[in-house]
Amino acid sequence: MKLRNKAKTAAPDPNVLLPPEGVPLHLTVAGMGARFGAQITDILITMIGAIALVVLLAVMDLTSPQTLWAISALLFFIIRIPYYVLTELAWNGQTIGKRMLKIKVVSRDGLSLSAHALVVRNLMKEAEIFLPGTLLLTLDAASPIASLIALGWVIGTIAVPLTNKRRQRLGDMIAGTYVIDLPTPILLKDLAQSVPKPVKDKFVFLSHQLDHYGTLELQTLEDLLRAQENRPAMQTNARNKATLDSVIEKIRNKIGYADKVQPADSVAFLRAFYNAQRAHLEQKQLFGERRQDKFHADKVDPD
Amino acid sequence: MEEPTDLIRSARFRKEREADWLRLESLAAKAETQGLRRMSFGEARDLAALYREATTSLAIAREISLDKGLLLYLEALTARAYLSVYAPQESARGIIGRFLSKSGPVAMRNSWFFVMLGFLSMGLGLLAGYLLYFDDPAWFYVLMPPELAGGRGPDATTDYLRSVIYQDDPDASGLGAFATFLFSHNTRIAIFVFGLGVFLCAPAIALTFYNGLAIGAFVGLHVDRGLGWDLFGWLSIHGVTELSAICIACGGGIQLGAAVLFPGQNTRAEALRIAGRDAAKLAIIAALMLIAAALIEGFGRQLIQDRNARLIIGWTIGGLWLMWFIRGGRTQS
Repeated sequence: MKLRNKAKTAAPDPNVLLPPEGVPLHLTVAGMGARFGAQITDILITMIGAIALVVLLAVMDLTSPQTLWAISALLFFIIRIPYYVLTELAWNGQTIGKRMLKIKVVSRDGLSLSAHALVVRNLMKEAEIFLPGTLLLTLDAASPIASLIALGWVIGTIAVPLTNKRRQRLGDMIAGTYVIDLPTPILLKDLAQSVPKPVKDKFVFLSHQLDHYGTLELQTLEDLLRAQENRPAMQTNARNKATLDSVIEKIRNKIGYADKVQPADSVAFLRAFYNAQRAHLEQKQLFGERRQDKFHADKVDPD
Repeated sequence: MEEPTDLIRSARFRKEREADWLRLESLAAKAETQGLRRMSFGEARDLAALYREATTSLAIAREISLDKGLLLYLEALTARAYLSVYAPQESARGIIGRFLSKSGPVAMRNSWFFVMLGFLSMGLGLLAGYLLYFDDPAWFYVLMPPELAGGRGPDATTDYLRSVIYQDDPDASGLGAFATFLFSHNTRIAIFVFGLGVFLCAPAIALTFYNGLAIGAFVGLHVDRGLGWDLFGWLSIHGVTELSAICIACGGGIQLGAAVLFPGQNTRAEALRIAGRDAAKLAIIAALMLIAAALIEGFGRQLIQDRNARLIIGWTIGGLWLMWFIRGGRTQS
């Protein structure tokens, strides 16, 4: 029970993005591991690129060794920002590393990424991680205070994403962006569509028998049936058979379905039940009666 | 066609739209791999139209369908299509051109106050370093990092100081590498000054002030030996650009810090985001100026040994920067 009188507005779901069309989209915020991996890949790529350029310059023998040294120092320094900005601009928020790990930068306001946002988030990356990082690597034990400051800085900036729900770095906050996992659309077969007619007539469920379960149970059954579909070899497995039998037994007891189900028909029975149950629930949903699960959890006033 | 009638509603819904979804899926994949630019007119039009259709389908499916597989598919498909429809449409060249001709100078003018603060912190530091040196030359060792001084200090002879300023044989002393080192030092300072500004301005101002202190002590040393004008020329040729870059970066940092300190009606994150629009452009301008300074430093300082020529070149370039900031991107009225 909340003691506060004023109802606080619920925090928006970090995984939901609202595009201009107004239909909220579900885009999972990328994990720190994937982002770290992408970062490492990109660092390797830029380093290899810089080394290749330096080697090219050395082979062409255009400059004296000393200038070459100066140029390479500069190159390692300035190659990163253009790389990140241009790749993210060309591939819509993905560097090569991000492409490999299937993550992507999106704009928080649901509009397309602006060049400004991309520049800002990558400029800040330099100030947040790379500079103190190189400082940390190049400094020696002679100046422990500077090393400690650099270390504290790196830890601090890496900890920032952990403090907010969208895992935004400082640069992300200023740019108004965050990183998501790229969703992959896989169109599965519709279970309700592929029921042969004779099966449908074989098992008949009455309206009161379908009043027991809700969406959760229906979708759990869907998962079970999809698993049967995807792995036909499983259907001969003894343990799988036992599982199906116990599921059928549970359902029969719950809904009061009198007829025994033949072992050979177990999948067919479940599919017929799934069909009937889904049709029933969807019908009710059309009239505004949503049912979350068998406990009618949605009926309780959330207050 | 007797089959569809015995299908349940959500299955019929799916059957009617499935072909469009699959086409959208292939179009979105094409847009991702090849880019919108390479797609034909018909394909681009279909992508946009089918995407909007899919958002409607998703909204309906959420209401009427309980098929989890379908819902997940539509979610992912719409998201994927959304990402390819709302992709940045600008070319890299267009962005660079726009920045140079308009948004860069405009951002400078918008945040003139913060840039002034940056120059002020550097200037005060310079003054303080100068006065401190005359108070006691030993301050030089405190203020100037030894690796930057390069052997120059109160102990060095006047002749040595002069020889560094008017290098007879640049390669012999490795001045090229030294210049690069100084450059990377200043670049680092500029980036730190910008990035640290977020932390309530203080580190940015302090670092700029400290940088000013070091230069002030350095100037004090040379003025003390009667080399004031010579050093001024030596510093001018690249320093006008380079030190201005640090001050501008500091201005950007202060702007970010000010947004955190005084967010006004917005939340702090929101204020930071708004301030970032101009601050980022200041950072890019500072970076451009640093690169320009590096070029001048790499070539100009060794080639041009005359004091007056150094002064003229340095301040002319400074004047050009100023012209760009003041005149650039103004609409004709």
